[in-house]
Amino acid sequence: MEHGGIRVMVVDDHPMWRDAVARDLGEAGLEVVATAGDGRTAVRVAPAARPTVAVLDLQLPDMSGVAVTRELLAQDPAPRVLILSASGEHQDVLDAVKAGATGYLVKSASSDELIAAVRRVHVGDAVFTPGLAGLVLGEYRRLAAAPRPAERTEAPRLTDRETEVLRLVAKGLTYKQIATRLILSHRTVQNHVQNTLNKLQLHNRVQLVRYAIDQGIDQGTDAEE
Amino acid sequence: MGAAAVGFEVPLWRGIAVFRAAALVHAVALMLQHLGRMEHPALAWGVTAVMAVWTAAAGYAYARPEWRCRPLMVADLAIAFACMLSTRLVGGAGYLDAAPPLTATWFAAAPLAAAVLGGRRWAVGAALGYGAADVLLRGAFGAPVLNGVVLLLLAGYAVGYMAHIAAEAEHRFARAVELEARTRERERLARSIHDSVLQVLAMVQRRGTALGGEAAELGRLAGEQEAALRGLIGREPSAAPGRPEAVDLCGRLEALASAAVTVSTPATEVSLPERCAAEVEAAVRAALANVDRHCPPGTRVWLLVEDEGGTVTVTVRDDGPGMPAGRAERAAADGRLGIAQSIRGRIRDLGGEVAITTAPGEGTEIEMRVPR
Repeated sequence: MEHGGIRVMVVDDHPMWRDAVARDLGEAGLEVVATAGDGRTAVRVAPAARPTVAVLDLQLPDMSGVAVTRELLAQDPAPRVLILSASGEHQDVLDAVKAGATGYLVKSASSDELIAAVRRVHVGDAVFTPGLAGLVLGEYRRLAAAPRPAERTEAPRLTDRETEVLRLVAKGLTYKQIATRLILSHRTVQNHVQNTLNKLQLHNRVQLVRYAIDQGIDQGTDAEE
Repeated sequence: MGAAAVGFEVPLWRGIAVFRAAALVHAVALMLQHLGRMEHPALAWGVTAVMAVWTAAAGYAYARPEWRCRPLMVADLAIAFACMLSTRLVGGAGYLDAAPPLTATWFAAAPLAAAVLGGRRWAVGAALGYGAADVLLRGAFGAPVLNGVVLLLLAGYAVGYMAHIAAEAEHRFARAVELEARTRERERLARSIHDSVLQVLAMVQRRGTALGGEAAELGRLAGEQEAALRGLIGREPSAAPGRPEAVDLCGRLEALASAAVTVSTPATEVSLPERCAAEVEAAVRAALANVDRHCPPGTRVWLLVEDEGGTVTVTVRDDGPGMPAGRAERAAADGRLGIAQSIRGRIRDLGGEVAITTAPGEGTEIEMRVPR
């Protein structure tokens, strides 16, 4: 975060979308430092362009959006990743978020919503759609229900309050509405949402490291499945 | 039934051709052994020559799928019976007391071919016909006749059954291949629609909304089409393996997504018995229809599907004006049963429960919980 300047990289294989998103962000005063039409280009230009936020389409011609997310986040400094996807591919969205993406927005969102989302992702806030909240809720329940290898880590759990907040997000309430309904501050609601994501990402990282150790791979090398 | 089969029958026909040739050698050997007992040995050579020619001809004809037909089969049986019955002429009265008919095991090739081509009934008919002919030749019914008939019955029935299974298997295989081809095609279409049409529709919606006015209306229409199309190509209408009656509730409810209706689900399937899923879907549709009827245009709806293991919860929330407390109950009491009957009734029939939360200015939330 250089002087709070928002530097955006737009990754989308559809030129029409790439240009429109870049234009909208530019008009809103955000600096678009790079655009890329495929995953490899994005991963290659990111270190030089030093974006603070990567707006990423999940469906790319060469790499999966999940892999691009992982590679971008492995860089130093790493941009935050906002998934912007028309995709109905729920598992892909969930995997990208577990791999560390901070937000998710559907392409039908208005440009105002997009700009607001980029600003929030830039400062580290999680950007949830109702759809993403539904996916995250489902994932926690799946992890809790799945038979666990005995000696392994506890599956991450949501507190009752977190579940309550996440359900309200999934039912389309804004943070402000949730804050009013639960008599909490806006910031507290934001923190609860953020926590649900952090725990899931942490669990995912632990799993990946475990997997790497099991496979006898050094942590420094590529630990992709 | 043999008509549809192409691949699996080929080895069967090859096997019958080999059997026919080997049986011919056997018949010739037996004929040479018993040549001394015959009244007309020269005729025996003639019959054997006919058998040899037919062995070659049948081998050739049965190898061609387009020639495999009833007339060929009937001709085959006729020749086999004729050669067999000629034993009487060739051998004379007492011949069969010490030797088998001239055709010996060669006869069996024709009933086997009939079993494959015509089915088990023809095989059984040919075996019984053989018995009758044998009785006619010997002038009496005895152990040799019975042995022949039983062996032919068993072989013919078994081969006919096998051919039937093979045809069925081939039919199923063809269906599976076709299904896979359709799935692939569907995936290809989905990918290509996703890469082109959906992107453009989403773009039209976005720009249209930004431009406002009439363009916004066009944008809204594009958005609706985008959501509908995405719901259509998004999920396979899949059945859980091994439980054909279980369906994915998420897939069904996602089809209801539109510009105004947002559907949130887990990433994994939420499978419910078909009847149960259909009832839940109907209840959700009733809730959506209720929003359409009572809320101003532009009201948005959120649909949430949750799988809690033992129960499945579906929540329909709108941001409409909501209702004063007790209005739903009053409506029910007045005999206007809309929500009460179609939602509460359906869910109660499934052993579940419905909670309706509403207040003026707060929208309405209908939570349906259904046990697994």
